[in-house]
Amino acid sequence: MTEPHPHHVDPSTEQSLSIWFFVGVLMLACGAIILGQGIYEFSHPGTTVLANLHPAFWWGMVMTLFGAFYTIRFRPRKG
Amino acid sequence: MHCAAIPAVILLASTQLTHLAPVDMAILLLYFAMVIFIGFYVKGSTNTSEEFFLAGREMSAWIAGLSFVSANLGSLELMGWAGAAYQYGILATHWYWIGAIPAMLFLGIVMMPFYYISKTHSVPGYLQLRFGEGARGLSGVSFAFMTVLMSGVNMYSMALVMKVVLGWNINFSMWVGAITVAIYVMLGGLRSAIINEVLQFVLIWAGAMLIPILGLIEAGGWTNLKAQITARAGVEYTHLWSTTGNFANNPMGVNWTGLVFGLGFVISFGYWTTDFLVVQRVLSANNLRAARLAPIIGSAFKMFVPFFVILPGLLALVLLKDASGHLIQLYPDGSDMVVNHGMHSFNEVLPLMMIRYLGPGLLGLGITALIAGFMSGMAGNVSAFSTVWTYDIYGAYINKKASDSHYVSMGRWSTIVGMAISVGTAYLVMHAASIMDYVQELFSFFIAPLFGTVILGMLWKRATKAGGFWGLLSGTASSIFMWLVVLHDKTNIRFMILQPHASSDTIQRVQAMAANLYRAGWSWCVCVLVTVVVSYMTKPTPEAQLTGLVYGSTVIPHDGSRNLFEKPIFWAVVIATVLFGLNLWLW
Repeated sequence: MTEPHPHHVDPSTEQSLSIWFFVGVLMLACGAIILGQGIYEFSHPGTTVLANLHPAFWWGMVMTLFGAFYTIRFRPRKG
Repeated sequence: MHCAAIPAVILLASTQLTHLAPVDMAILLLYFAMVIFIGFYVKGSTNTSEEFFLAGREMSAWIAGLSFVSANLGSLELMGWAGAAYQYGILATHWYWIGAIPAMLFLGIVMMPFYYISKTHSVPGYLQLRFGEGARGLSGVSFAFMTVLMSGVNMYSMALVMKVVLGWNINFSMWVGAITVAIYVMLGGLRSAIINEVLQFVLIWAGAMLIPILGLIEAGGWTNLKAQITARAGVEYTHLWSTTGNFANNPMGVNWTGLVFGLGFVISFGYWTTDFLVVQRVLSANNLRAARLAPIIGSAFKMFVPFFVILPGLLALVLLKDASGHLIQLYPDGSDMVVNHGMHSFNEVLPLMMIRYLGPGLLGLGITALIAGFMSGMAGNVSAFSTVWTYDIYGAYINKKASDSHYVSMGRWSTIVGMAISVGTAYLVMHAASIMDYVQELFSFFIAPLFGTVILGMLWKRATKAGGFWGLLSGTASSIFMWLVVLHDKTNIRFMILQPHASSDTIQRVQAMAANLYRAGWSWCVCVLVTVVVSYMTKPTPEAQLTGLVYGSTVIPHDGSRNLFEKPIFWAVVIATVLFGLNLWLW
């Protein structure tokens, strides 16, 4: 199984925007919001179980990095 | 699969579980905005029928594979199976492993070449090529009917879950969901549905993965969790196979024969290889190798779905506690404790675990994933409906010689009509809740016999048109007959499991989960038997007419694999080996 190649036009759509780009943007935006909430929770601790592990911060970080990677890798290119 | 859907009375008596913070609403709105944008964005590239109904056959193996598995990852299934895991233990995993993976691998390796090189646009379309108009008409009409009903069930379930979890108005949720799905499927057809399914897939993994991770941390690891479950519920809750020697030894009331033949063979193969809703995703692949790899990629992801569906149910058995630290006991839907005493039901286990671990932001992500799952379920059904209606009913029997643009226009209109019927179904279910249970039962009537017809059509040259049609008809009729017989008198189920003297306790256990497996098995046998007998009584189909449709009459072209790692069969063997290892580990 091979990864989708970043430098080819994505075969899944004829438009310049690839499906993976949409995935990246959604994850990046959601990740950034959750990461922001996670940072806020360092000074205003949450009430959920295991909130002391700061899941919003760490999960938001993972999603932001994942989203940023896909957004950049599959960003629309000219030509 | 549709067999563990939430009963109609789900959650009805509960009170609102939580509310969304502004940060959660931001995530939800972001998702809706993106979905609508995608609909308008891809509209420009859905001008021909091939583009609208089959996404132009341009999807890569990864996209088709994720969409294939995502079309089945609806929220009804997620919540239903998490509840089943709480109720029956780890046995529920069988519906994700033996009940899916072998069939997906079989589709990729054996069946996909025939679907793909016959250039069919749908499963009823393949039946028309192989068995003629009768078989196509029967499967086309039954499938179209079922998909719009299922879409309505999804719509109502979403609205009900949103009401119970968040306190939202049912009408509001239904109409927002219906209009959004109608817009993006009408504009972008299958292409739009597939893009949204991939988004939903990523959302569900991102939204649900934290629950088992945090749960395992709280439980002190897998070994500790197993020990705690054994102490509370019994050792049979943590074993996959060792308790299935007898109906009475496990909480599900299931026997290994039912699991292997009924679930692992007939139901699973029927669903994953002949339900057009999922097969349509793979038909959108851009070449034969991608079409064969797509179900195999899908199966690799499917194998890990129990991690965030089954595991939360198991974790809840020992970790779901109230504010004072006492374990919360969940009860069957519709039971006195749920309806009259405001206790939580099995199917609420996933939202309850979400609320336990996910604070603002993360909860919004989880809720968005659930909503995306419901909407993608509606979109999958309605896009499959519009294809089968336009090609296999309208184009086949009503208007055979229209232009391509006319059929695209019909596809868009049938999407709107399909959603309107779905809304009607949703309101019908709202006023007569038991209809929902029947609709989900109905779906299983057609799948097992259809698999018998398709598999004989693909692998047996001697099967004739008359054999295919009468086999399908009698198989479906036998399934409905068995269902009616058990509906009339529940104890009749003892004949289906070949235990005429079964105890009332066994009958009670079998009733809940195993009945479907045995009914499917028998209806498949009837279909195959009738097809074989009628085929031998009728004139064989000339060999020339079977080219490209049947094994033995078809030269399957090379799929373009250049080395071992590009061969679908290599990855199928890898996945089968991992599956075997996992079953052995949890034996």
